[in-house]
Amino acid sequence: MQRTLAYWFVASTGRKSPTSPWLAIAAGLTALFVAIPLVYIFFRAAGAEPAAWQRLLQARLWQLLGNTLLLVVAVTCGALVTGVSMAWLTERTDLPGRNVLRAMLALPLAIPAYIGGIVHLALLRPRGGLILLALEEIIGRPVATPSPLGFWGAAFILTLFTYPYVYLLSGAAFRSLHASLEEAARSLGRTPWQTFWQVTLPALRPGLMAGALLVALDILAEYGTVALLRYETFSSAIFVQLAGRYDRSAASVLSAVLVILAILILWAELRVQGQRRFTQIESNWRPAIRITLGKWRWSAFLLVASVVSASLLVPLGVLIGWSLQAFADPQTLEAVFRAGSRGFGSFVWNSLWTSLLAALLATALSLPVALLSVRYPSRISRFIARFCQVGYALPGVVIALSLVLLINRTLPFLYATPLVVVLAYVLRHMPQAVRSSESALNQLSPSLEEAARTLGRTPLQTLFQVTLPLILPGLLAGAALVFLTSLKELPATLLLRPPGFDTLAVRVWVWAGEGFYVQAAPAALILVLAAALPLSFLLRQEQIFSDSSIS
Amino acid sequence: MNTLDIQHLSKRFANARFAAVNDISLALKNGEILALVGPSGCGKTTTLRLVAGLERPDAGEIHLNGRVVASDTVFVPPEQRGVGLVFQDHALFPHLTVSENIAFGLRGRKSAEIRTTVNEMLELVGLTGLASRYPHALSGGERQRVALARALAPRPVLVLMDEPFSSLDADLRGAVREQVRSILKAMQATVIFVTHDQEEALYMGDRLALINQGRVEQIGAPEEIFHTPATRFVAEFMGASDFLRGEAIPEGIRTEVGWLPQPAYVSQPVQVEIALRADDVDFELSETGNAVIVERFFRGAFNVYRLRLDSGQVLHAFKEHTQILPVGARVRAYISAGHPLAVFQNGQVVSNGAE
Repeated sequence: MQRTLAYWFVASTGRKSPTSPWLAIAAGLTALFVAIPLVYIFFRAAGAEPAAWQRLLQARLWQLLGNTLLLVVAVTCGALVTGVSMAWLTERTDLPGRNVLRAMLALPLAIPAYIGGIVHLALLRPRGGLILLALEEIIGRPVATPSPLGFWGAAFILTLFTYPYVYLLSGAAFRSLHASLEEAARSLGRTPWQTFWQVTLPALRPGLMAGALLVALDILAEYGTVALLRYETFSSAIFVQLAGRYDRSAASVLSAVLVILAILILWAELRVQGQRRFTQIESNWRPAIRITLGKWRWSAFLLVASVVSASLLVPLGVLIGWSLQAFADPQTLEAVFRAGSRGFGSFVWNSLWTSLLAALLATALSLPVALLSVRYPSRISRFIARFCQVGYALPGVVIALSLVLLINRTLPFLYATPLVVVLAYVLRHMPQAVRSSESALNQLSPSLEEAARTLGRTPLQTLFQVTLPLILPGLLAGAALVFLTSLKELPATLLLRPPGFDTLAVRVWVWAGEGFYVQAAPAALILVLAAALPLSFLLRQEQIFSDSSIS
Repeated sequence: MNTLDIQHLSKRFANARFAAVNDISLALKNGEILALVGPSGCGKTTTLRLVAGLERPDAGEIHLNGRVVASDTVFVPPEQRGVGLVFQDHALFPHLTVSENIAFGLRGRKSAEIRTTVNEMLELVGLTGLASRYPHALSGGERQRVALARALAPRPVLVLMDEPFSSLDADLRGAVREQVRSILKAMQATVIFVTHDQEEALYMGDRLALINQGRVEQIGAPEEIFHTPATRFVAEFMGASDFLRGEAIPEGIRTEVGWLPQPAYVSQPVQVEIALRADDVDFELSETGNAVIVERFFRGAFNVYRLRLDSGQVLHAFKEHTQILPVGARVRAYISAGHPLAVFQNGQVVSNGAE
């Protein structure tokens, strides 16, 4: 019986000995776990009274859909253009200062977009923006600056803080691309310009597509920035229904539409991922020759420098300035350290332990899934691995909604505990853990595990003595990624936290919403620094968003 | 009692059109080295993995030292088989040192015993000075020997080697091969050695088993396989370059290049093919000959000539390195083997000079 069950699991490509049923069960349970919020949202949406559907279809739905899609397309295009051009300039040309710029271009990933938005809003607000005031001071009369509010502002800010996804993916691809590929194109009569469009870019396309679709999913889920800049999308509308009007069936209907949209994008992303191949650095690999920019050198430098400034230096500089201001002013300082139920230390602690616990749980849960899909490939194991990516398609507000409803109904003792927040992080960020674990396992030759078996180790001993020690760096990378994104998470935390349970992200959001920028700055700065640590670990490992492995 | 007995072993992978292993039976005596040789994808590695317990057979039985380890009702997992496996990519644990790698299979023994065994193995493979190195700091040949030491250390009943030299450079391969064979013989190990290289198989094996499309084509001593191939496939795999068509009668074989007086086991005239190596063929310049020189390849120590017979069939012939003849010249080709040749009808041998 065990044997037949196991055979069923390896039915399609079973090159290996049969799956351990325990592994299959563990992976299946993980898939079930991530399936619950998804299924429940559709269940609720289907159960909503027709009137709710009617109301939404008549008034809001089409406008929300239009708004959301417009923003997604704009930001995705913006991130693609910015990301690829920054990667090309730093990897392929003799740009001055490219080594420093290369690192700085990736760092905006440590800054949550809404914190970047808060800074830019404070600088450029139509009334009372700091730059505005400064200009008025100098010129002596009011001047008009572009407003960061609305569609263009949101598109601008979100592009600034999502282009690093594309930048990192295309940078890695530029580095690993075989120089002889481009040399072959040149020897076959293509100019450098034609080579770029006809050879280099097509070779990078799968990676770029994957990056772009990840950006699109991110924008669908974005709440903080669009709410701050008063541009209404699905996420912010759901948030309002949940937090303000408390209309759960309207929220469910909107969520279902949003999730369908996200699943379509995720499906496309998984397909593109499947087409990607390992760009292997062969023994005769050598870097491509750098293009000499000549007289364009300094204009290119200015371009890169302005991207770095807007996305990294200005936000960081302003936060540091405000923090210093906060420390200089005893009244503000007292407000910072007194606020909340248990003061500043508790926000930091709450942020750290929830994110860390989420990282550990997500990594642990991803392990059986990755083991099953990499070592025992079959239709079912592949399905489970893909299904566990569904978190990408579940925006924070949707996860919050389904957890609120579910936990109220089935596990009331969990309601209003911080564990629900952790649960939301795990559900939302599981895909990153699964991808990292899969990629780590893919790089481990199965013959190492087989060698341990022939030297007298049981499957379980092999797992602990050979597999785990060797994939540990990959697992750590996955955990770091989950930690980083959990730390930055805002909407689910806002909706699910018990009263008085504040994290850094929540505090920054609440203070900034009340206009206390200076007071919010130290928390924001610590949040950014805490996120920068795992990010720099990932950048050094070159593990971030690199080779995931769904085939 | 045989160390290994394989009976009617079969394995077919899901979605595969053909069986990877198709009704293979083999036996190994204690201390014997059997080389499994065949083209890639012929099932030799799968056979090895079935013996190691890394795959489950669909049918057939495997006995190790008289104990059933795989059958319709029994499946002993690899960790309980006591079989040593040397992998193609060596599969050294990168997080363990050389001596930790070698000690990996010795778990559960006394630490003094482990230390002695590891030192013995290090000495045997000549790596005493490298005990505390990690695998990445070793050369290819050294890794190869660590992999062998690790497999041999627990004194396995049977050692399986899966193309162990294929990841080594050609110039290193010869030297490592000699070392490995003498180590195996010194340990009196019973070994199955998988390779796709016929020369390596001839060197390593006490016996050879030729595998083709999941079946054993022929099994026997290296000389036997080389001199009296049982099938056309074996002859071709062991280096026959041409198959000359002819007509066999019981007394001999009529061919385009003359009469071969070698009795054939046929009752009536049949079409056959004679397996020829380039050193079995010779030719001389002759206006009234039966062939034309098409091409000459200079190989340093000798010349290889490609001849086209009047029927269109191509033969290859060796000449000394000083004998340079013009392409296009008309020649008379003939068989100059001086030993019996293998003759096949529909791929099966009908004459090889032996009774």
